[in-house]
Amino acid sequence: MAKKWKQKIQRWLTKQLDLPEDVMMDFPRITMVGQLHVYIENHKGLLTFSDKEVRVLLSQGQLLVKGEGFVIKTIWPEELILEGKIEQVLYINE
Amino acid sequence: MKNLWFKRLLGSVTVKLIGISGERIINELIRQRLVIWNVKRMSKNEIIFQMFIKDIRSLRQAIRTHRVKVRFIKRAGFPSWLKRFRRNIGIFIGVFIALIIIIILSNMIWKVEIEGASPDLEYKMVKQLKEMGVKIGGFQFLVDDPEGIQRKLTAMNEEVTWIGVELNGTSYHFQVVEKEQPDEVKKTSPRHLVAKKEAIIVDYFVEKGEPVITINDFVKPGQLLVSGLIGREDAKQKVSAKGEILGKTWYTTEVEVDLTTEFELLTGKENKRTTIDFGNISIPIWGFSSAKYKHKQVEENKHELQFLKWKLPISITNKTIKEVEVHEKTYSTKEAKKLAQEIARKDLQKSFSEEAKIIDEKILHEKVENGKLKLLISYDVIENIAKEAPIIEEERED
Repeated sequence: MAKKWKQKIQRWLTKQLDLPEDVMMDFPRITMVGQLHVYIENHKGLLTFSDKEVRVLLSQGQLLVKGEGFVIKTIWPEELILEGKIEQVLYINE
Repeated sequence: MKNLWFKRLLGSVTVKLIGISGERIINELIRQRLVIWNVKRMSKNEIIFQMFIKDIRSLRQAIRTHRVKVRFIKRAGFPSWLKRFRRNIGIFIGVFIALIIIIILSNMIWKVEIEGASPDLEYKMVKQLKEMGVKIGGFQFLVDDPEGIQRKLTAMNEEVTWIGVELNGTSYHFQVVEKEQPDEVKKTSPRHLVAKKEAIIVDYFVEKGEPVITINDFVKPGQLLVSGLIGREDAKQKVSAKGEILGKTWYTTEVEVDLTTEFELLTGKENKRTTIDFGNISIPIWGFSSAKYKHKQVEENKHELQFLKWKLPISITNKTIKEVEVHEKTYSTKEAKKLAQEIARKDLQKSFSEEAKIIDEKILHEKVENGKLKLLISYDVIENIAKEAPIIEEERED
C-alpha cells in the first residue's frame, strides 16, 4: 500500500509542478528510429534475448520488442540500443 | 566509448557464451559497468558479443557462479595486431633490411669505364676519380653530378679536349677525346711556309728551306715565305721547310664597358642543408638553421635514389646557400678606359698563340654613350705568321 501512495504523491507533484515525467517517475524513455533502432533508457535489466524477441525489465512491468534480426548494439546499466527490423513494441503489466 | 577508433586502439575480443543463462550474465556484466556491444544470439544457448580485452578478467569472475562456457573467437584492434606483428617481426625486419640493401646497392657505383684514353691517361683519370669518390663501391649520392665530374676532370687534365660523363644505372661511363699530337708524317713531308696574315716581317729564323723574304717586307696572306725547294735551279730538292717568321700584324678591337656595374661578393656566410625529398615534400635531415640572406646564391645538388633500374620518387638534395653582398661600382671615364684596355688585351691574347707579343696599342676612337664607354683600339702585335703549305707540282715547273 505504501508504494501505491508514494506513486500517487509523485504523480500529483509532477502534474502540479509541471516536471518531465520520465525524470520524476522513473519511467522508461523509448526512442525509435523508423523500424531500425529502439533506444531504451532507464531499463532495469535484460530478461530474454533472441534475434526475434527482446524482453527488458522496467521499473514497473516489462517491455517486449518483437521483430527480426535483433542485435544489441550497445548496452549500459540503464540504456540499450537495439538494432534490427522492429515490428512491435509491447508493454506487459503483471 | 562510442568511438570506433577508441575500440580499435584498446583492442577488442569477440566472446561466445555457451549456456542457457546468457541474459543474466549480460545483466551482471553491465552492472559491473563493463562495456559490451554487438550482442547477438546465435542459437538457443549461444550468445556472441564483443568486449574490451582489458575486461576479460572481470568476465571470468562474473561467469564463475554460472554454468556457462566462454570461448574467445576473434581478437581485433591495435593490441592484437601488435601481438601478431611481434610474432612475425622477423619477416618484417627481413623485408625491410632487404629493401634497404637493394636501395643502397642501387645507389652505389659498380662500374667505371673509361673509353678513348691512352693507358697512362686512363691510369691518371682512375686515380683522380678515386679521389673524387668515383670508384667501385662508392656511393652515387656522395659524388658530384655528372656535369660536376666532367668540369673537374676537364680542368684537371690539360691534354684532354673533351670528356663525356654518363651515368648509366650503377655504372659511370667516360668518353675521352685527347688532344691530337702533331703528326710525325706531316713534319717530314715536303712543304713551303706561307704567310698566315698581312704583316711586316720583323725577324726570321729558318731551320730548313730557303727564305724568299727579307726584313721589312710586307707580306699578304698566302704569300710564300720560305720555299721548300732548295738547290740549283735545274735540280731542285724538296724539303720540309721549317722556321719561324716573326711579323708585325695589326688588330683592331672594339670594347664596351659599363660605367656602373653591379657585382656580387660572397661574404663567407653559408648554410648547408641536406634534405630527403619525397615527391614535393622535403624533410630536412641536416642543417636546420633558418638564416635568411638578403641576397644569396644557391647551389643545389640533387641525387635521385634508385631501386634496381627504376628511379624512386625519393631524392637526397644537398643545398648550399651562400650569402652575397651586392656592390655597385661607378667608374670614371679614365678608369673605364683602363679597364676596357685590359679587357681588350686579354681577349686578344686569348685569340693568338702564346709567343705573340703586343708591342703597341693605340686608341682610335672613344665615346661615352648610354652609360657605356666604347673604345676602338688598334694593336700592333709581333707573332709567328708562318703556315705550312704543301708543295704543288706546277710550282716546280715554273
